[in-house]
Amino acid sequence: MIELVDVSFSYDGSQQVVRGVDLHLTCGGITALVGPNGSGKTTVGKLAAGILKPGSGRVEIGGRSADGMSLAEIGSEVGYLFQQPQRQLFAPTAREELSFLLRVQRVDEDEIRRRADAMLKQFDLQHLQDSFPFVLSRGEKQRLALAAVLMNRPQFLILDEPTTALDVKRKAELSKLLMRLHDEGVGMLIISHDSRFVGDLAERVVQLRGGEITDDCRNQHRSV
Amino acid sequence: MTAETSTDQFDPRSKLVLVMCISSLAVLLQDAVMMTAVLACGWLAAIAFGVDVAGILLRLRKLLYLFAAMAVIQSIFTPGGEVLVSLGGVSLVTSVGLDRGVTIILRVLIIVISAGIVTTASSRDVVQGLYQWGIPYEIAFMVALAIRFLPLLRQEAEDVLTAVQLRGLKLDEVPLGQRLQIYSYLLMPMVSSVLGKSQKLAIAVEMRAFRAHDQRTSYRSLQMHGGDYAVMGAAVAATAVFLLAAWRIGRI
Ligand SMILES: Nc1ncnc2c1ncn2[C@@H]1O[C@H](COP(=O)(O)OP(=O)(O)O)[C@@H](O)[C@H]1O
Ligand SMILES: [Mg+2]
Repeated sequence: MIELVDVSFSYDGSQQVVRGVDLHLTCGGITALVGPNGSGKTTVGKLAAGILKPGSGRVEIGGRSADGMSLAEIGSEVGYLFQQPQRQLFAPTAREELSFLLRVQRVDEDEIRRRADAMLKQFDLQHLQDSFPFVLSRGEKQRLALAAVLMNRPQFLILDEPTTALDVKRKAELSKLLMRLHDEGVGMLIISHDSRFVGDLAERVVQLRGGEITDDCRNQHRSV
Repeated sequence: MTAETSTDQFDPRSKLVLVMCISSLAVLLQDAVMMTAVLACGWLAAIAFGVDVAGILLRLRKLLYLFAAMAVIQSIFTPGGEVLVSLGGVSLVTSVGLDRGVTIILRVLIIVISAGIVTTASSRDVVQGLYQWGIPYEIAFMVALAIRFLPLLRQEAEDVLTAVQLRGLKLDEVPLGQRLQIYSYLLMPMVSSVLGKSQKLAIAVEMRAFRAHDQRTSYRSLQMHGGDYAVMGAAVAATAVFLLAAWRIGRI
């Protein structure tokens, strides 16, 4: 689904933040990307989603070079949840947040309402559907941002630190939801340093250190 | 006080006056030739103050492409004047349209480059300078904060644009009415993030016993020197000359 071949990247042209990374992400699998702060996890995630262009090496998404794809094209296949959810919330209400981009894409109004209702229910946001996203708590923002990404029904999800603001109960719920998406065939790259969370979910754990992959193994302890 | 670099020799107030002059000209002037002259002056001034002009243009290139595209569209769809390019009897580029497109680009460039001059002043000095001019401390502090947050806002704007496009938005295919609504939506996360940042900053500084009180006294006192008066005098005089010339040829 997503393939990174010998990818290197630098923000300022001198210091290499990502060095010679090879990563093949398959359609259905759940892969965890772990590593200490500043090891380049977010950068690898953005490279894999075509948001950043590699300095050298190449990135392919669904068999096509990410270079030639517009962000909107990528977005129809890959959903990306930013580490800071407030940067991807735009609309004046939670419901509008889920709906407005589908409306622009001329999706049928009944269909939009149906999908939005399902998402609000799934993410336990029904009571907040008329709230201004800016005033939601960080965990609520995160749930809303993920719900909004899922409205597009992407084949693959990249989640950057999805559990940082979630309490234990919400974490368990997110875990369940991600497993359900997995059963529907959605592949995932979960960026996290919450080893408990990814340990339960991921079939494969990729360890990043100083911008290089130091370990890439099957997860033996997966509980579900 | 010998350790000061050459650009620090200037009072932040002279930089502010210079930038206000240049950017008012950018907004007021309509004539492409004169605006080119202002751009040249602003560019030279920026380099003289040690601004990395090439770096700024490089970092803002996406935004500049956007404005260039707007300028091209403007020049294609604005009728009037001589027809410069036509296709099968349909006039594509007219002299009036071209002139309008070019002025948009010039205006943006002038403002961007002159804003670079302000960012070379330390925000602490901007507050102090404005305060010494009798501007209330709160307002001076807000101006300084706005200058400080300028580069952050750019990063924010890029992320927001990326996020909304990744969620399936093709901006160039959206009809105008909806596009305006989307632009208004995009301001939301930027405004909220700046509000959030300033709130956090306010709490942080107040916990360290900072208040934007008027009766503050300051150990540091800014002194305007000959060079400052020269910069401000030249800026105001040049602005007056430009405006007078524009008025004489009736293009203001
Ligand atoms: N926009 C940026 N500009 C410059 N350097 C950056 C930027 N974003 C991240 N970095 C640097 O790149 C390195 C890796 O960052 P990141 O990918 O965010 O790591 P992680 O997500 O693992 O914490 C860090 O040293 C960070 O300081
Ligand atoms: Mg990160």
